[in-house]
Amino acid sequence: MASSILQTEKLCKSFSNGGSLQHVIKNLDLEIIEGDFTVIMGASGSGKSTLLYALSGMDKPTMGKIRFGEKEIQDYSNDELAIFRRGNCGFVFQSVYLLDNQTVLDNVLTGALIVQKNTPKLVKKAKELLKKVGIEEGLWKKYPNQLSGGEAQRVGIVRAIINDPKILFADEPTGQLNSASGKDVLDIFTEVHKNGQSIVLVTHDLKTALRGTRVLYLRDGGVVGDHRMPAFGEDDEKERRAHLTAFLEEMGW
Amino acid sequence: MHDKILRLSLFNLKKNKREVLGIIFMTMVTVLMLSVVLINQKKIDTAFDESFTRSGCVRQGVLFKADKYRTAFANILREGYGIEKVNEGCLIYSSMVDVLGRDGETVAYNLMFATEKTERKMEDFRKIEHLPKEEIVEIEHPIWLPEGFRIKKGYDVGDAFVILKNGKEYPFLIAGFYEAGLMSNDGYSHKVILSDEDYALFAMLFDSSKDYECYGLFFDGEEIDFDRYLEDCNEVASENLSFTTHYHCYRWEKLNETSFLEIFMMMIIGISAVTLIASLFMIRHKISGDIEDQMQQIGVLEALGYRSVEISLSYLYEYVIAGGLGSVLGAVIACLITPFVNAGITVMLGRRVDGDGGITGAVIAAATVLLLVVLFALLKARQVKNYPPVVALRKGIRTHHFGKNICPLDKMHGNINLGLAMKGFFGNLKASWGILICIITAGTAIMFSALTYDFSRNGAYGFAATMGTDWDLLMVYTLSDSDIDAFRKELTTLPQVRKAIKGFNGEHVSVKGSSDSAEVISFGDFADSENIHPYEGRLPQYDNEVMIGLRRSRAENIKVGDSIVLEYNGLEKTYIVSGIVGTIQNGGTVVYLTNDGYKRLNIFAAENVVKVYPAEGVSISELQAVIDAHFGGTARQAAKGGANGQSMEEKIRAAAQEKIAAMLNQYGVTDVDYAVQVGDELITGNSRNFVIKEFFSYEGIIKTQMVPIAETTKKFCFYALILVSGIVAVLITIITSNDVRRQRHALGIMKGLGYSSKDLMLQLALKYMPVILAGTVIATICGLWINNLFWGLLFASFTKVNIQTVVVTDIFLLIFCFAVAYLSAGRIRKISVTELMTE
Repeated sequence: MASSILQTEKLCKSFSNGGSLQHVIKNLDLEIIEGDFTVIMGASGSGKSTLLYALSGMDKPTMGKIRFGEKEIQDYSNDELAIFRRGNCGFVFQSVYLLDNQTVLDNVLTGALIVQKNTPKLVKKAKELLKKVGIEEGLWKKYPNQLSGGEAQRVGIVRAIINDPKILFADEPTGQLNSASGKDVLDIFTEVHKNGQSIVLVTHDLKTALRGTRVLYLRDGGVVGDHRMPAFGEDDEKERRAHLTAFLEEMGW
Repeated sequence: MHDKILRLSLFNLKKNKREVLGIIFMTMVTVLMLSVVLINQKKIDTAFDESFTRSGCVRQGVLFKADKYRTAFANILREGYGIEKVNEGCLIYSSMVDVLGRDGETVAYNLMFATEKTERKMEDFRKIEHLPKEEIVEIEHPIWLPEGFRIKKGYDVGDAFVILKNGKEYPFLIAGFYEAGLMSNDGYSHKVILSDEDYALFAMLFDSSKDYECYGLFFDGEEIDFDRYLEDCNEVASENLSFTTHYHCYRWEKLNETSFLEIFMMMIIGISAVTLIASLFMIRHKISGDIEDQMQQIGVLEALGYRSVEISLSYLYEYVIAGGLGSVLGAVIACLITPFVNAGITVMLGRRVDGDGGITGAVIAAATVLLLVVLFALLKARQVKNYPPVVALRKGIRTHHFGKNICPLDKMHGNINLGLAMKGFFGNLKASWGILICIITAGTAIMFSALTYDFSRNGAYGFAATMGTDWDLLMVYTLSDSDIDAFRKELTTLPQVRKAIKGFNGEHVSVKGSSDSAEVISFGDFADSENIHPYEGRLPQYDNEVMIGLRRSRAENIKVGDSIVLEYNGLEKTYIVSGIVGTIQNGGTVVYLTNDGYKRLNIFAAENVVKVYPAEGVSISELQAVIDAHFGGTARQAAKGGANGQSMEEKIRAAAQEKIAAMLNQYGVTDVDYAVQVGDELITGNSRNFVIKEFFSYEGIIKTQMVPIAETTKKFCFYALILVSGIVAVLITIITSNDVRRQRHALGIMKGLGYSSKDLMLQLALKYMPVILAGTVIATICGLWINNLFWGLLFASFTKVNIQTVVVTDIFLLIFCFAVAYLSAGRIRKISVTELMTE
């Protein structure tokens, strides 16, 4: 039986807004299962991204517990969270956030060398991964602003997975891409997931959500729906879409 | 439109408070220091002149040893030099007279003793502060001192002023102080006024090769060519008078009294230059950062129709406001502290300094600095014109990085933080130039201050190291018939004695072609010397070799390998210059000969001095006490009297010893025997009981001349070190803050990737280290060079550089810069990765 990789207990996250507190996540109890491709959906302002940042240790919760394996990370300092993130998490952002003044290869290695010290081994791995996601050698020495959006996001994915993170977080990874590029990126996510990678992905895009094995629906800071999907490729596209649409309609999508 | 630009300026000021405060601080410090120099430079100059004028002193005086004087010398002045009025009077010239200091310790001054009659031939004898007349007439031994004794040395009217001579105390009471023109400084001498009776006594007492009565000619008018005048006098006298003739003039004494303050002013100018350079660089750095940061705003403004010059003005206003505020503050503070600066200068100069704040000087300083700031800001702000709207809206073409990948990470070995730091450094080398220049200038100031502090921190002893002669020793003068070899040998058996070397009393010889006589410093083997380090060439080894001081070398253009002719008592000998040494001894005029070399010139000379070096931890006074006790005292002490014997024989022997000592000391008697018949008993004795004639050490003169300089220098250097370190800290803080602001986005991404704030702070601090390291190395070289130049030019001497100090200063500078950069990069902690993602 698959084990839990991430658990929250009465997780709360509030923001101060002009003197009053805005509660974005409210007493959330959640369990992320190892090997799942968990998709978090919800309307704008439902707290999807806030939950993702809290789960990934990018941000500290206001209250509650976050248990990552055996460790509780909610009381970690910012530096402890950084060390936690580098060892356990990978991130793919909507805006990619590659470092402008570094080449493609250096961007990937910047994420890797903070964790591992074996440069030749890492370089070899980075090159293999880049090739695998379709970034050919000619692009390795290019700078981010010489890449297309799709290429940049693929580099972002390689940077996120090069450390073999226990969990890969993604925040609207196809949000700024055209549909062809978006599909390529999603194929990579699927491929990565097939290799056993746990993924937590935030999206409001149905096509993206179709790639998940579990869909959580958020409303007003709480999970109001938790739907398990068959693994991608096990059913045909139409059937999966109908499955998901029914769930989302039920959620009021 | 201007409203909008002004608003943008104010917005920038508010947004970057730390940087703005830094610029205000730096301009304030620059203006403050420049104002202090501009306000007080003239005061230093005029304080001497005004004091001189108030004293009514003549501008020149020539002192001849009384028994060498001829009336023709005054006539030469009248006839050959057009001097109409020549006043004449007698003074006693004495060097290094021991005086019982106010704290009970012995100090030494170069003193000129004069009567009121002679004093009035020289100046008005303008009394400043004195006891009531009725009290003065009651004083048995009154003494009038130049005002400098009150200002610099803290004496007061009614205080005791005890002169020590031949082991005897001559107590005087300070009747008052007078305003002196010439002869009122530690370098040349202090003229003190005695009663006629005391003067007559001292005229007998001070009679040796170093102390003697002089006949003085005092006159006004243009400064005479003293060398030519001396030649004229030599011709009349048919002998060389240069050993015993002294020339005093307004220009030389003014230079002597004000040079130390001038040096301080130069040092202040140096530090203000450091702050100015740092301020200008900071402005340059900040404007570049602001433009890059606000590129899109610039694009929008340009798109709305603002011209680049108008946008540039927004940056200019910012610095007009910040620089203006700093300048005004600096100028105001400079005016407010004027009374304190006046008091400081008064103490250092030994003459009263008054005067207002000198607003003009402060205004000039403030206006100059503000003008430079504005000009520099304008030149940098014009960079805006390089960004047309489209380029600016795309955040400038420079963000499109197509350059060479420097320090690729796939080739990197070792720590990633170091690797990324080096990548950051080499990727932005252009920005490093400014930091390099600032570190070099500030580092040079720090190194120079540290070196100067180091040798002044041991009080006068650091300065004494510049003397170019061994000074931390006791010179024991022996009586002429004593067995100096046996005496020296016995001295070496004392545990308090490290070594004892035979030598000569430093006689003066003349250097042919030069008006300066030269005191001879001699050693049997110069390898025994400890504080004589040739600047060029080597120490004399043979009897035909001489080493000269740097000042003589420069003044008379004598180089190593040249020959000079020395003359003593009509005998001339040629010597080859083997080396040149930095020395402040006798104004750098001394010559160094081997003992044999000296004997070539003074064929009858016999060693009469033993230079005794104390063992580690033994002070000169302790050493003297030990030798005193071991050898039964000196002839000088015996001359003081004080027999405590109880028996008649003891009393007779003590009285006889006292008489012998007086004869030995005062009348040049070399050998005395006595026999006293008391009843049936014959009591006999002789002068051979005495070996030691007297002691001499540099301790007293070091205390009076060097301690005040050392103390002032030490304090100045300490504050300079703190100030310049503060400037470096402000500079690095601002650069780092600016960098954090500029790289906020990239730093946020790095945090997202798992880099902790500490990692990023370390990267940022390490990024500056190559340039700080290079700057420190260059600053060390510059600091050492300036140190040498400073001492070489001003004192014709060099300080022995303590390598430990250099290393410690370098390490301090590196660690300090790293720590400041690391701590000021702490702003990174405030960068929230979530905020970045959601912006």
